[in-house]
Amino acid sequence: MSTAQKNDRIDSVSPALHRFRGLFHTLRARLIVSVALVHVVLMGMFTWEAVDRQSQELRQELIHQADSLASLMVVATTNALLAEDLASLAEVTRRVNALDDVAYGEIVDIRGYVMASTRDGRVGQKLARMRTHRDRFPLPKGDSVLDFVEAVRVGDQEAGYVMLGLSTRNLDQELAASRNQGALYIALALIIGSFVAWLLSLAVTRNLQELTVAADRIAGGDLNVRVKVRGQDETSMLARAFNSMVLSLQHSAQAIEKEHRKRTDAERLACVGEMAASIAHEIRNPLAALINAMKLLGSPGLAEDDHQEVVQIVNSESYRLQRILNEFLAFARLPEAVLTAADVTELITQTIQQVKRDPACRENIRIETRFEDVTPCLFDRDQMRQVLLNLMMNALQAISASGHLTLQVKRQGELVVVSLVDDGCGIKASLKDEVTMPFVTARKGGTGLGLSVVQRILVQHGTTLNISSEEGVGTEVSFELMIAP
Amino acid sequence: MPVPSNKYDKSLRWALSLTRCATYAVLLLLSLCTLPVSAAAVADNQNYLRFGVLPLQSPTKLASMFLPVTDYLGKKLGRPVQFVTAPNFSSFMQRVARREYDLIYLNPLLYRRSRESGYRAIVKVADEPFTGILVVQKNSPIKSLSAQSLPPGTRIGFPDPDAFAATVMTRQYLQNLGIDVEQQMHVQYFGSQDSALLALHSSLVDIIGTWRPSFRSMPQAMQQSLTIIAETPPQPQMPIALVADLAPELSDKIRQVLLQMSSDSEGAGIVARLGFSRGFELASDAEYLELGE
Repeated sequence: MSTAQKNDRIDSVSPALHRFRGLFHTLRARLIVSVALVHVVLMGMFTWEAVDRQSQELRQELIHQADSLASLMVVATTNALLAEDLASLAEVTRRVNALDDVAYGEIVDIRGYVMASTRDGRVGQKLARMRTHRDRFPLPKGDSVLDFVEAVRVGDQEAGYVMLGLSTRNLDQELAASRNQGALYIALALIIGSFVAWLLSLAVTRNLQELTVAADRIAGGDLNVRVKVRGQDETSMLARAFNSMVLSLQHSAQAIEKEHRKRTDAERLACVGEMAASIAHEIRNPLAALINAMKLLGSPGLAEDDHQEVVQIVNSESYRLQRILNEFLAFARLPEAVLTAADVTELITQTIQQVKRDPACRENIRIETRFEDVTPCLFDRDQMRQVLLNLMMNALQAISASGHLTLQVKRQGELVVVSLVDDGCGIKASLKDEVTMPFVTARKGGTGLGLSVVQRILVQHGTTLNISSEEGVGTEVSFELMIAP
Repeated sequence: MPVPSNKYDKSLRWALSLTRCATYAVLLLLSLCTLPVSAAAVADNQNYLRFGVLPLQSPTKLASMFLPVTDYLGKKLGRPVQFVTAPNFSSFMQRVARREYDLIYLNPLLYRRSRESGYRAIVKVADEPFTGILVVQKNSPIKSLSAQSLPPGTRIGFPDPDAFAATVMTRQYLQNLGIDVEQQMHVQYFGSQDSALLALHSSLVDIIGTWRPSFRSMPQAMQQSLTIIAETPPQPQMPIALVADLAPELSDKIRQVLLQMSSDSEGAGIVARLGFSRGFELASDAEYLELGE
C-alpha cells in the first residue's frame, strides 16, 4: 500500500475514530465505563473466588468419598479376596456400582487378575499394567474419572487391590452451573451498574451542560444569560458561582462601555480641537501670505515684475490652501469602503504611472515592481489608489537625491501582502510609534494626515499598516489584503 | 594411489561410526530395560506360584499367618508366591481338584483326596502332635465324656465336616467312647475353627471339636474362659503338598526352603508365629496312606 493510499485510508477512518474516541472524553461516558468496570471486576473476582472455593470443596468431597468408599471396599472384600470368593466380591461391586458418581469399581488380586468388576467382561482378565497411584486434581484434559487405588493389606503384606473410579461429571456440571450463574451475576452487575452510573452522570452533567450552553452564549456576547441552580451539590455550587461571575462580568462590561464612551467623546473633542488648531496653523501662513500679497497688489508703486511675482505667490498659496483643505476633508469624510475583487498589481502599475508625472518623482529615483502573485483581492479601488499614492509619495519624499522604491506583491497563506521598500532617510525613532496618528509629521510643510488616511482606509479593509524603518537606511511599509473568494 | 586410499579410509571410518552408534543404541536400550519400574509392574511380568491354604480359620487370620510364609518363599525362590484360601473346605477341595494351586496346606484326610488330583506331600509340620481337642466352657456341667454322663440334648459344634482333627478325629474319639454323636447330640457346623470357638464362647453350643493351633490363636481371656476336656490320639501332621506338574528343580527348591525355614532367623520367626516351633520336616506319603487304611 502506498503512502498516499495509507493517508487516504487514515483520513477516511479518522473522523469515525475521532468521534469514537471523543465519546470517551465525555465525563458521562467515563463515569459509566468506570462504574461498570468496577462492578464487573469486583463481581468477576467474587465469582471467581466463589467458584474456585466451591470447586476445591467439591473436589475435596469427591476425594473423601472415593477414599471412604475404597476403604469400605477394602474392608468388605478382604476375606472374600483372600478366599477368592467371587460371589461375595461380585456382590460388593454390584452394591458399589449402585452408588452415585461411581464410574467403575474393581477388585484385583495380587497377580493383577480382576476378581470382580462393575464393568462387564473384565472378571478374569489380567491387567496389563497395575495402577499404583491415586489421581489428583486437576485431572488431565478429557479425563472425567478420578481414579483411586487402595491396597488390600493384611499386616504389612499386600493381598490385592481395590480400584475405584469416580466420575467427575456431576462435579463438572455443578461447577459449570456455578460459573454460568456467576456470569449471569456479572452481566446483571454490569447492567445495573451502568444504569446507576448513567443516572448519576445525568445528575452530575445536567448542570455542566447548562453551564456549557451558557458559556457559549456569553462568548457570543450575551451577558444576560443565567443557569438554573438545582440542589446543593458541587455542580450546583459551580452554577451559583458561574451566575455570580456572569453578573460581575455584566457589571464590568457596562462600566467598561461607559468608560469607553467617555474616552471616545474626550478623544473626539480633543481631536476636533487638535484638528481645528492644525487647520488654523496650516492655513495661517498661506493666508498671511495671501493678505500681504493682496496688500502689495493694492500699492500703486509696485513694479511690473514685482506684480507678476506677487500674483504668482497668490496663486501658489491659494493652491496650497486648497490642498490643505482637501486633505482635511479626505481625512474627516472618509467614505465607507466598497470592497470588490480586482488585481492589485494593475492598480499599482497605474498608480506608479500617476506618481511618475508628479514633480516629486525625480529622474534619478528608480521605481521597481516585484509581483509574485496576481491573485484577485478584495479592496475599494479608489481608496486603495489613495493608499498607494500616499505611501509612494511619502517614499519619494524620503529619498533626498537618488534612490530606489520597490513595490512587492506576494502571497502569504490566504492573504496577499503588498509592501513598499525605499532606501530613503527613514523615520526617526521617536516618531515610529506615532507616525500614523493625525497631524504627526517629520516633513516640513506636511499636514501629518497622509499616513492617518492610509491607516483609516486599511482599517476599513480589515488590515493595518506595518512599518519597519531604520533612520538613514530606509523604510518598509506593508499591508495585507484578503483574497477574493 | 592416494584417492582410492582416502575413499577406503572414509568408508571404514563411516562403518566404524555406524557400529559405534549401534553399540551405544543397544547399550541405551539395555539400560532402559533395566531401569527400576514399579513393584506392580514387576509383579505383572512374573509368574506367581499359588499357595492354597485350607480355610481352617477366617481368611484374614490365615493370611496374617501365611502371608509371611509366602513372602519368605517368594524371596527365596526368586518368584512371587500368592497366598489364597477358599470360602469353605468343599470349595477348597474343588479348586484342588481343578489343580488351581501349586502348593497346598491341608489336613491329612483331605490330602489323601488331593493325591487323586496329582498333589504330593513334600513336608509336614515338625514335632507337633496332630490331635483334635474337645473344648467346653470352664463353668460347663460337662466335666468328662462318657455315653452315660453326657446330658441329653447336648449341642456340639464343628468347623466343617471335612476338618480332620477338629471333626473327623474328635467324632471318631467320641464314637470310641460309645457316644453316638448323631443320635445323642445336636450337631452344628460353623465354617471355621474360629467360628466354632466363638460359638462356644457365646454359649451357642455346649462343646466343640477343634485343634490346638486354633485354640492357641484365641485371645488369652477367651482361652481362660474355656477348657480342654479331651484330646484325641495323635495322627500324622498337616502336610504341604505340591502339584505334580511343577518342575522337579522347583519342587526340590521349595522343599529345601521349607525344610530350612527354621534354620534362619527370619524363617524361624515366621514358623514361630504359625505355632510350629520346629518348622517343617520331610513328609512320607506312606504315613498318610496308612491313615486312610
